[in-house]
Amino acid sequence: MEQILANGLYLGAQYALIALGLTLIFSLMNVLNFAHGQMYVMGGFVTYTVVAQFGLPFIVGLLASAVVLAVIGAVCERFLFRTVIKRSKREESTMLLAAGIAFFLDAVILLVFGEKQRGVPKIVDGVFNWDMRLIMPYDRILIGALAIAMVVGFILFMQYSRTGRAMRALAQDRMAAQLMGVDVDRYSMIGFALGAMLAGIVGGLLVTITGINLGMGGPTSVKAFLMIMIGGAGVISGAIAGGFILGMMESIGLTLLAAYGDVTYLAIFATLLVFLAIRPQGLMGKPWG
Amino acid sequence: MGQMLNFDNVELFYDHVYALKGVSIDLNEGETVALIGANGAGKSSILRAITGLRKIKSGRIDFMGERLDGTAPADIVRKGIAMVPEGRRVFPFMSVKDNLLMGAFTRSDKADIARTLDSILTRFPRLKERYNQQAGTLSGGEQQMMVIGRALMAKPRLLLLDEPSLGIAPKLVQDIARAIVAISRDEKVSVLLVEQNSRMALSISNRAYALSTGSVVLSGESKALMNDDRIKAAYLGGEV
Ligand SMILES: Nc1ncnc2c1ncn2[C@@H]1O[C@H](COP(=O)(O)OP(=O)(O)OP(=O)(O)O)[C@@H](O)[C@H]1O
Ligand SMILES: [Mg+2]
Repeated sequence: MEQILANGLYLGAQYALIALGLTLIFSLMNVLNFAHGQMYVMGGFVTYTVVAQFGLPFIVGLLASAVVLAVIGAVCERFLFRTVIKRSKREESTMLLAAGIAFFLDAVILLVFGEKQRGVPKIVDGVFNWDMRLIMPYDRILIGALAIAMVVGFILFMQYSRTGRAMRALAQDRMAAQLMGVDVDRYSMIGFALGAMLAGIVGGLLVTITGINLGMGGPTSVKAFLMIMIGGAGVISGAIAGGFILGMMESIGLTLLAAYGDVTYLAIFATLLVFLAIRPQGLMGKPWG
Repeated sequence: MGQMLNFDNVELFYDHVYALKGVSIDLNEGETVALIGANGAGKSSILRAITGLRKIKSGRIDFMGERLDGTAPADIVRKGIAMVPEGRRVFPFMSVKDNLLMGAFTRSDKADIARTLDSILTRFPRLKERYNQQAGTLSGGEQQMMVIGRALMAKPRLLLLDEPSLGIAPKLVQDIARAIVAISRDEKVSVLLVEQNSRMALSISNRAYALSTGSVVLSGESKALMNDDRIKAAYLGGEV
């Protein structure tokens, strides 16, 4: 029991960060970022390069992932999404663009980092063992704690900083936010950069545990969409709830259903279908709060 | 009393709707000017043109001797123009406090912002009671007070109000009207007031323009307009 909870919490925190990035971009720009998983993979490879190739400390790798992905996010908004949104009123346009960016990033990752599974040496050794009831390697605990700290940091940032407030305002009423003096273009770019950065950070965190490979992009995007469908798209609390719920479901599934083969995601999808039929807007479906 | 706003021969379109057909209005420092007229006359379009939310087709807009049209909405706020939009447009999932703080988005002096916030909470004590409540859960009247407060948080020189009495209980309309008079007096802010409640608008303004289908049809001192037969027939009839 303790083991399942701890694993769920550890996974859930990573997932929540991924979902927060996706939901931030959606709420600000009404864009479904299908390239979110690829941004996560990119973050993993950047940390891998900095830590395993250049031999620099893990924290430098994580910062590098954050910066590189923030720049990629900003560029995507400034030169791709902004122009498409100005020219086309149809939502499919940005969806196609996002899908295109996903394929493009996959190609770039293949070209630059190759197709091999990559990992970094353990950042801390040792295993925490509480009477065999709860066993968790210290590096997982560290990565889980970092992710939780970042979720909390993100909430505080959105709640109390001037920039965070402006992004919430923009998500809730674009026109009113403009009348307060919020520059829509500028804050859309900041929001996109921040969302991509979160994906990159999770990639950097998880490369230390599970490693990274090219094929993880698509499935990660699917998981991210699952999470915001569970929680309700465009809501901070929904993304966090969705992340932790999916983390817990996976953790429970991997422990209890393992005996029946690889059925965890089958069970999760089935549950989600029923859930969405009953509550299509997700748990907390409403604009940002 | 120098001229503050000059709105000169402005034309404005929405796709194919001809919303302003060469409208000219002006406003002096310290004045309260009302825009009255029926639905679709173009009142809100004038405010949207001033705040830069809509580009104008021709004509020009000057504010404090500087050209305004073509400036981005965010920069227009920084020049000292704040607007309370039609339908209030609160940030529904933000607290009253955060809504008010958003009003001060363009300002950076924390102590000065705190002073403005204090004066607004003193002016509208109801907002103080509801300070941490989500704005979407306020009553219509409370929301209206909040968005007026939110606009004042920018410390504007010109306040644009779009139908502050819309959807508000008649008793509260009186309060709102009194608040507008008090604000223009205390804060030394000029007011451009759009209203369908013409009687209220004329009673608290110095001058007024009557609009009809995108053109100014009458203008003058509000006192005089209130006794004008054409205004009485077109805008004051039926109301008491
Ligand atoms: N976004 C828009 N798209 C198309 N036409 C519009 C739009 N907004 C306003 N119009 C049209 O422009 C004209 C002027 O509208 P405006 O909103 O300025 O009127 P108003 O005087 O404020 O009316 P009301 O009292 O109903 O608010 C109307 O004919 C209206 O239908
Ligand atoms: Mg209007």
